[in-house]
Amino acid sequence: MQSRTARALIAVAALVAVVVLFVVLAGGDDDGGGETTTQAQPATGTTAPATGTEPEPEPAEEAVPRIVVEGGEPRGGVERLSFDSGERVRFVVRSDVADEVHVHGYDVSRDVPAGGSVRFGFPASIEGVFEVELEGRGVQIAELRVSP
Amino acid sequence: MVKRLVPAAVVVAAGALAAPEPAAAHGLVGRADLPIPEWLFGWAAAVVLIVSFAGLALLWQEPRLEGRKSFRPLPDGLSFTLVNTATEVFAGVVGVGLLALTIYAGLAGVQSPQANFAPTFIYVIFWVGLVPLSVLFGDVFRAFNPWRAIARGAGWLTARVRGPLPAPFRYPERLGRWPAAIGLLGFAWMELAYANGDDPSTLAVAALVYTAITLLAIACFGTEKWMSRGEAFSVYFNLFSRISAVEVRDGRVGLRPPLEALTRLTPVAGTIPLLVVMIGTVAFDGASEGKPWTDVAPDIQDFFTSLGFSLGTALELTFTVGMLIGLAIVASIYLLGIAGVRTVDRRPFGEIARSYVHTLVPIAAVYVLAHYFSLLVYNGQAMAYLASDPLGEGSDLFGTADATIDYGVLGATAIWYVQVGVLVAGHVCGLILAHDRALAMYQKARAATTSQYWMLAVMVAFTTGGLFLLSQANQ
Repeated sequence: MQSRTARALIAVAALVAVVVLFVVLAGGDDDGGGETTTQAQPATGTTAPATGTEPEPEPAEEAVPRIVVEGGEPRGGVERLSFDSGERVRFVVRSDVADEVHVHGYDVSRDVPAGGSVRFGFPASIEGVFEVELEGRGVQIAELRVSP
Repeated sequence: MVKRLVPAAVVVAAGALAAPEPAAAHGLVGRADLPIPEWLFGWAAAVVLIVSFAGLALLWQEPRLEGRKSFRPLPDGLSFTLVNTATEVFAGVVGVGLLALTIYAGLAGVQSPQANFAPTFIYVIFWVGLVPLSVLFGDVFRAFNPWRAIARGAGWLTARVRGPLPAPFRYPERLGRWPAAIGLLGFAWMELAYANGDDPSTLAVAALVYTAITLLAIACFGTEKWMSRGEAFSVYFNLFSRISAVEVRDGRVGLRPPLEALTRLTPVAGTIPLLVVMIGTVAFDGASEGKPWTDVAPDIQDFFTSLGFSLGTALELTFTVGMLIGLAIVASIYLLGIAGVRTVDRRPFGEIARSYVHTLVPIAAVYVLAHYFSLLVYNGQAMAYLASDPLGEGSDLFGTADATIDYGVLGATAIWYVQVGVLVAGHVCGLILAHDRALAMYQKARAATTSQYWMLAVMVAFTTGGLFLLSQANQ
């Protein structure tokens, strides 16, 4: 079973696999760099409150992400709202139509009047990717993303 | 899973067109998995490679699973408590009852995927939940199979009235497992591509049609024949149950070495397509949550709308194409590997391909488990309120109608570890099966080893591919 060619083949295969792996990982780094970037610190795990590259919530008003709904659709497409587990999820929905804004998973709902806005704030206690939806229209307006 | 995670632009476009009935555009799932982080992907892939190469060097030199006829029956009393006429009848009645409830709820209940019993029961409990059960406890579905139960009941009745009734037709053996492969493909299409696939009444009608076809085929070819070749779900869950150490043989419960029953799988025609469907559809479902797919999907959809299809139809066609691409990729990976094996094995291509097909069953199982684990853990909880209120009309049969899904039971990290863990476990099982088969088939150790490289490459491709899909999902 362990002839010399066999070993050579194994070595070559391993090398190829490692190179492929490296390329994939490196490639992944590039496009992941966009917005969230909870960078791959090996396993700092869930303990620390956010190695937060984006010190977002503290200065309240300005930093709160705002979703604008026009004609029942989110302006600029479905936006991603990223938080770390344990932070406080905050965002504002401003809408020109009256509807109920529903955050799935957390099951938080608030009504928004036509031409008005509604403010959300709750602890990011559940990890995962969740829909934020105009419940009446069944239209997704944002994606809530809570990472460990 | 499913249509919820269609690229945003596509959803908006289709939603705008389908505007008259917005409530239906909902889907079953309110939460999706985070992609596995890069460091975990890297570690897992490294572990896969190390395990593989260590395995090549360290695994046994004589076949351990092939031709091993060890079946150790459980003690009589225990075996009889588990399997006797009463428990068989009971399981059959439960199976038929659940089928009837699903169809009734789908037709008579509220037409909302989450509030109606049918979608969650079919897609989560039945389709996904039975997979780990089969892997752990053997062919559980066989006991609860409603169609088998109906057929056996009817057979028992007619036998009492007019004596035994032989099947009027011989099953055409050249069909092999093709009917099952086609049945599974149809089911997967409904789940992944069909716009109304979550729709309770659609599911109920599909279940009715499938019931009719199945009973008809049973009447033609006999119960056991159709269960082992044509009935898609029997064949599907039976394949997974072959991983398990539990078996019921001649009415007795006993233990066998895990995986051993896979070496006894007869690779009749259609078995390879069946496995390709099983792996390819799940792979596509995973890929459809990731960027490579969401980048091309709108283009494919545009192509179909330019042909004159409506946006909704174009979207279905797009997903159908995606699914077929998934099947093609899975088939090519396997067949390329087999082409490699042919360098040391001069038998015809098809024969070699069939002799390794059982090694794909663990891969198929872990694809399902890794991809749908969180669906089972979270949406499975919906059974608490659905059992009390199957129609979604406000009844409270067991006092649990107010239960909700607790998304806090498992964190994202735990889910990642389970996903990666099962993928690696499936990889090891596939490797063991391929190794054992090679030892049994080739007298020359050298041929066995060389054939191993190719099967190893196939396994590594599927496993790292699975990891890659997990790392891309919802990226």
